[in-house]
Amino acid sequence: MNSPLLHKLVRFSLPNVPMVHCSPVSRGLSMARLLREPLRSTARLFAPMSGVSASLEAPWRQYVLASLVFAATTLLSFYMQEWVGYQAIALIYLLSVVLLALFINRGATFFGTVLTAAGWNFFFAPPAFAFNISDTYDNMMLLTYFVVTLTVGQLTTRLRAHRNAEMQAKLLVESERLGRTLLNSVSHEFRTPIAAITSAANSLHSTSVLTREQQNLVQEIESASARLNRVVQSLLSAARIQSGQIRPKLDWCDIADLVRVTLRGIKDQIYSHRVRIFIPKDLPLVKADFVLTEQALANLVLNGVVHTSPGTSLEITARIENGFLALAVADDGPGLPPDQLERIFDPFQRGGTTKPGGVGLGLAIVKGFIEVQGGRVIAANRDPGAVFTIYLNATDSPHLPHENL
Amino acid sequence: MNMPENQPPLSVLVIDDEAQIQRLLTVALEANGYKVSVAGEGRQGVAAAAQRRHDCIILDLGLPDINGIEVLKNLREWTQTPVIVLTVHDGEAEKVESLDSGADDYVTKPFNTAELLARLRATVRRANRGQTNEPLHRFGDLEVDLASRRVMRKGQPVKLTATEYVLLRMFVQHAGKVLTHQQILREVWGVGHEGQTQYLRVYIARLREKLEADPAEPVLFSTEPGVGYRLTEMAAVAA
Repeated sequence: MNSPLLHKLVRFSLPNVPMVHCSPVSRGLSMARLLREPLRSTARLFAPMSGVSASLEAPWRQYVLASLVFAATTLLSFYMQEWVGYQAIALIYLLSVVLLALFINRGATFFGTVLTAAGWNFFFAPPAFAFNISDTYDNMMLLTYFVVTLTVGQLTTRLRAHRNAEMQAKLLVESERLGRTLLNSVSHEFRTPIAAITSAANSLHSTSVLTREQQNLVQEIESASARLNRVVQSLLSAARIQSGQIRPKLDWCDIADLVRVTLRGIKDQIYSHRVRIFIPKDLPLVKADFVLTEQALANLVLNGVVHTSPGTSLEITARIENGFLALAVADDGPGLPPDQLERIFDPFQRGGTTKPGGVGLGLAIVKGFIEVQGGRVIAANRDPGAVFTIYLNATDSPHLPHENL
Repeated sequence: MNMPENQPPLSVLVIDDEAQIQRLLTVALEANGYKVSVAGEGRQGVAAAAQRRHDCIILDLGLPDINGIEVLKNLREWTQTPVIVLTVHDGEAEKVESLDSGADDYVTKPFNTAELLARLRATVRRANRGQTNEPLHRFGDLEVDLASRRVMRKGQPVKLTATEYVLLRMFVQHAGKVLTHQQILREVWGVGHEGQTQYLRVYIARLREKLEADPAEPVLFSTEPGVGYRLTEMAAVAA
C-alpha cells in the first residue's frame, strides 16, 4: 500500500463507488470498506504497543526511568529494611529490575542492574555506606544478582524483538493482501465496463443491418475500447510492479516460441512494420517467466513501432552472451538522445521525440517485469536506430530426456 | 446461425454477477440461436445447472467474492456439461487452475463476441462428439491412425519416438482443447514429472519439426502462454 501509483489509482477510482454497489450481489468489498479497513487493522495491530512503550522510544528516557525506579526502590527499601533485613532488599531490587526489563532495552537494563547492585552494596550490605563486601555469602549473592538480571534483560529483549518482527510480518502480509484485493477490485471495476462496451460493439458489428457509416462508427468504438483496455492493463501492471505484487513463475522457455507468441499477440498493432527474427536454432532453453517476458518483449516491439516510421523494419535477435540470454529489439529509427538512455525506463518518461500514444509506462513495465525475474534491460544506440536488450540469466541448463528413435 | 432448423436450440447457462454482462451475453447468444438462462451467483448457478440440462455453461471467474473455481469443482462432481470460464488478461494461474479443475476452455475478458461464439461452438461440438471410437483423425496434412499407431503427413509416414507418439496421441484425443503443462507432463511422463517443463518444450519443438507444414510458423500445436498447448482443429482454423 505504500506505492504512490496505487494511491493515485485508489483516489482515481473513488468516484466509482456507486458502480461497486450496482451489482445485484453484494460484493462484500466496497471501496469505502476497503479504505476504512487498513486504518482499523493498523490500529488493532499497534494497540499492545501503545501506552508505556510508545513514550519510551527515546533511549535516554529509558535510562531516566531506570534511575527513577532505582531511586524509588531505594527509598522504599530504607523504609522496609528494619522489618525484612538487608538480604531481602536485594530481592526487592531484583524484582524492580526484572519489571523494568519488560519495558526498556538491554543497555538500560544493564545500567539499572549496575545501579541497583551498587546501591544495595553501598546502602544496605554491611558495612553500610561503603562499597566493600567481606562476606562470601554477600559476594555470591551479588554475582547471582548480576547473572539473573542480565539473563532476564536478555530474554525480554529477545522476546520483544520477536514480537516486533511478528507484528511487522503481520502488517506486511495484511498490507500486501489489502493491496492485492484493492488492485483486483479496481481491475474488475475497470474491466467490466470495457468488456461490456467491447462485447456490445462486437454484437452490433456482426449484425448486417448497419449502414456503412454506422459500421465505421462501431469500428471506432471497438478500437477505442481495445485501446482503453491496453491503457488500463498498463496502469494495473505498473501498480502491481510498484507494490511488489509480481511473483515470477520461472520455467524453462523456448525463446523462439516465446518470440512467435509475442508477435502473434500484437499483430494488429505492428502490421505497419516488418519484423525480422534472428534466433539460432540451437539456442538452449532459458529459465524465465514466459508471460512476463512475453509482455516485456511485446512492449519493446510496440515501442519500436510507435517511434519509427511505418514501412521500416524491426529486428529481434536472441543469443547467449557470457551466460546470459540477450534478447534484443533493434529499430532503424532516430535512436535515443544519449542523456535519455538511463532514464528511459522510468515511468512517464517518453523519450526525446515525444509522439502521441501510450501513457509512458511501457518501458517501465519492461524493466519491472524483467528485473523481478532477476534480469536486466538496457537501452543503447546503434547506427542508425535504438536497441533495447533484455538480459536473463542462462547459466543453468535443463536436464533433458534422452530417447533414441 | 449454424444450427440446423429442425433441432431444438442449444441451451447455455451464464453464471456472472454483472447485470450488464448478463444482458449482453444474452443478446449475443440469443441472436445466434441459443437459448440462454442466467444465474447471478455461484450457488444459484449450480442450482440452475442441476435443475435443467444445458449444452454449455459460461462461468465468470473474475468475481472478488464468489470463487468461480469452487463453483466449477462443485459442478464437476456431478456433471460433465462443458464449461467455458471467463477470466482476466493476466490471470494465467486462474486459467491453469480452472482447466485442471475440469473447465473445457477459457475466454479472456474483455472478450470478442465472435471469439466467444467460436469457442462455444467448438466446445459443444467436442462434448457431443464424446468418446468416439473412430481411430482415424485428420488435421490438415496430418493423419493419425490411433489403431495402427500410424502417423502420416502429406501421405508420407512420419517416424516418431515412443514418447513423441504418446504426446501426439494425447493431443489427438483432446483435439481443440487446451492441455495444461501439468496435465501433459503427468499423462505422458508420469506422476512426479509435473515440474519438468523442459521435457515438454523440447518435445513440442520436435513434434512441430516433424509434423508442421512450416515449423517456424506452427499452426497445429499452438502455445497458450503460461497455460499449456492446444492442438488446433482444422475445422476451427477454416472457420
